[in-house]
Amino acid sequence: METVDNKQVERRAFLDFSVVALLATFFGGVFYPIFRFLSPIKTRPGSMGEEKFSIPLADVPEGSAKLVRYKDLPTIIIHTEGLEVVALNAACTHLGCIVKWDDETGRLLCPCHGAVFDKFGQVKDGPAPKPLPPIDVKVEGNMIWLA
Amino acid sequence: MKKNILQKIWGFFDERYGVGELFEKEMCKKIPNVDWTYCFGGATLFFFQVQVITGILLLIYYRPTIDEAYNSVINIINNVPFGWLVRGFHSWGSNLMIITLLLHMTRVFCQASYKNPREMNWVIGVGLFSLTLVFSFTGYLLPWTQLSYWATVVGTEIPGSIPVIGPYLKEFIRGGESITQYTLSRFFALHVIVIPAMLAGLLGLHLLIVKTVGISEPVAEMKKREKRS
Repeated sequence: METVDNKQVERRAFLDFSVVALLATFFGGVFYPIFRFLSPIKTRPGSMGEEKFSIPLADVPEGSAKLVRYKDLPTIIIHTEGLEVVALNAACTHLGCIVKWDDETGRLLCPCHGAVFDKFGQVKDGPAPKPLPPIDVKVEGNMIWLA
Repeated sequence: MKKNILQKIWGFFDERYGVGELFEKEMCKKIPNVDWTYCFGGATLFFFQVQVITGILLLIYYRPTIDEAYNSVINIINNVPFGWLVRGFHSWGSNLMIITLLLHMTRVFCQASYKNPREMNWVIGVGLFSLTLVFSFTGYLLPWTQLSYWATVVGTEIPGSIPVIGPYLKEFIRGGESITQYTLSRFFALHVIVIPAMLAGLLGLHLLIVKTVGISEPVAEMKKREKRS
């Protein structure tokens, strides 16, 4: 910006600056969202498909369950008595809240509207319309594998 | 005076193609003393341009199949950066385009701007209006929601009630007896290729006629002028 001796901004310089700033704001406001829209979408691991997921068996003791992120979806791994491991999509089929494992009853409870699922994801009570989708799981040695 | 870079670029084109003269002729044209109601045609044109730009952007992420359409729209809204904004502009722009278009037609009608020598521009304008309505109708099906599905069921029942040809017409529009993948595919093709091309062509003609015969004089101005003379 041009200035005169007493450091005052000249009227013309100020107007020039204002016009440029206004145009820059306008075009920035238009083109920045378009640029971001067209830029590659940042995805979390596994959200676009293939993912191998493993967790030590020791992390999920018998009679407990653990919530993990698998293919960018909330997934609950349940380890019931007798080395039986089940994995389910943990989003309640009612309105999508994350279901919680209840040690005492051995069932999955939805905290939002009280839907109840058994350890295989079948609806036992409450408003859920469908069972929780199962996810393939296998135990190899002391590791649990999802895929 | 020393020229800056922009003035040099301007000078390059002005010397060769006389853009300065053209600019002066077009931008400094004398137009009748019009009021703000004359803005609606331009506003409609602006919304059309917004629709074209946001439409091309949506086309990048939208997938026109009955299995994928809804999920791809949800993906645009939730995952694509500024996708909600682009889709919002496209959706709101379509509504606003219809509103400004109706206001534009009302203005032209009430100011008698459709009279000689602009009769053909009214006819073309009615064509543009119809095309815009078909544009909206075909676009409404694309998200493949309950609302869009049933709106299309109802909307295609209406031509179905025409005597004799109605039932055939309905099946022809739907591409079958009910709303299926075929309906979505043909509405998609209409919405992104056929209607835009037709609309752009007619719009060019519409604007060309406006350029040729000029903007109409408001009735009040005309009366004032007659009184003076």
